Amino acid sequence: MSYKPQLTGSWWLKHRFFKAYMLREATVIPLAFLLCSLVAGAFSLQDPERFQHWQAFMSNPLVILVHTLALTASLYHAATFFVLFPRVMPIRVGNYQLPARYLVLAQWGAVWLIVALFIWLFAFGGQS
Amino acid sequence: MRSIQILRYLPEESSQPFLQSFQVPVTDSTSVLDALNYIKESLDPTLSFRWSCRMAICGSCGVMVNGIPKLGCKDFLRNYPNELIIEPLAHLPVERDLVVNMDSFLRHLEAVKPYLIEGKHAADSSQPNRQTPAQMARYQQFANCINCGLCYAACPQFGLNPEFTGPAAIALAHRYNLDSRDSGKAQRMAPLNSKNGVWSCTFVGFCSEVCPKGVDPAAAVNQGKVESAKSMLIQLFRGRAIGGAGQ
Ligand code: SF4
Ligand code: FES
Repeated sequence: MSYKPQLTGSWWLKHRFFKAYMLREATVIPLAFLLCSLVAGAFSLQDPERFQHWQAFMSNPLVILVHTLALTASLYHAATFFVLFPRVMPIRVGNYQLPARYLVLAQWGAVWLIVALFIWLFAFGGQS
Repeated sequence: MRSIQILRYLPEESSQPFLQSFQVPVTDSTSVLDALNYIKESLDPTLSFRWSCRMAICGSCGVMVNGIPKLGCKDFLRNYPNELIIEPLAHLPVERDLVVNMDSFLRHLEAVKPYLIEGKHAADSSQPNRQTPAQMARYQQFANCINCGLCYAACPQFGLNPEFTGPAAIALAHRYNLDSRDSGKAQRMAPLNSKNGVWSCTFVGFCSEVCPKGVDPAAAVNQGKVESAKSMLIQLFRGRAIGGAGQ
């Protein structure tokens, strides 16, 4: 005769490690909102009036807040992902195992490269 | 002296587990296992728990210490200045006190065929089956598992679905898949590709956190996802090719 405790819905509240995991998974929520906003934006392009509405919507402080949250959330998700990546795809050159921290740095390097590209495109119109 | 609490379960006395307090002598080097042994020898001989090597090799002394899976012999009372509650390993049926039923864990280990399967890499049995240090380095980390089951007690996916193959078994499968002397990968991929295989994992990662041997089973499971994706794609194209030929 044995007993087996059942896992309850609040299992993830028991340890900070699980809470961090849930936070990582929850980053999808503000991102989904951002995605919906962008899709709505794409559809509003057909009609100038709707586009104006969309612009007003996008400058609503609450919307800006959620979008800022989406940015922070995706940076957090990226940080967790970049650390996990070298464990999932260890890179080996011959007999040499590339240290994980180089891979993490390389990924952040790629992020900054893309950010710099966008700053150049939007702030300077692609001209130097 | 200090007090520790133990979750007892004595099915002939009560159908419910209950917490019991004990006073044990402590020094800086008293391990959780030392405390349990003191209780059994001096206070209550009915206390049941498993142990053997008391040096983190046999993997039999796993318990939950304040809710975290630990090896009793590798965890020390000095780490817990305040409350200390010892419970049986989570996610497994409890037979008695701190003794859990490991059957499902062993079933998952067996299912991945954790042994060298000969095939195209078959060795000439009159010769030593050689491996270079570099070939060994590819899997060695995953070969350090002592089958303690702490990773199963740490895994919420296993807690929710006991049919999930789970961290140690997938790490073991990966260990043999990476072995240059082995040809059994195709056989092992079937259980790993299945719904209770690698894809049941959501990379919570706590298994690697609690592993006392640095096996990093979460890495093995997620490397397994890459392998599984590859093998499923290959199957898909093969399926197409065969289907195409039949038309
Ligand atoms: S992978 Fe680590 S935690 Fe899991 S059974 Fe093996 S040694 Fe124990
Ligand atoms: S008693 Fe062997 S691992 Fe703890």
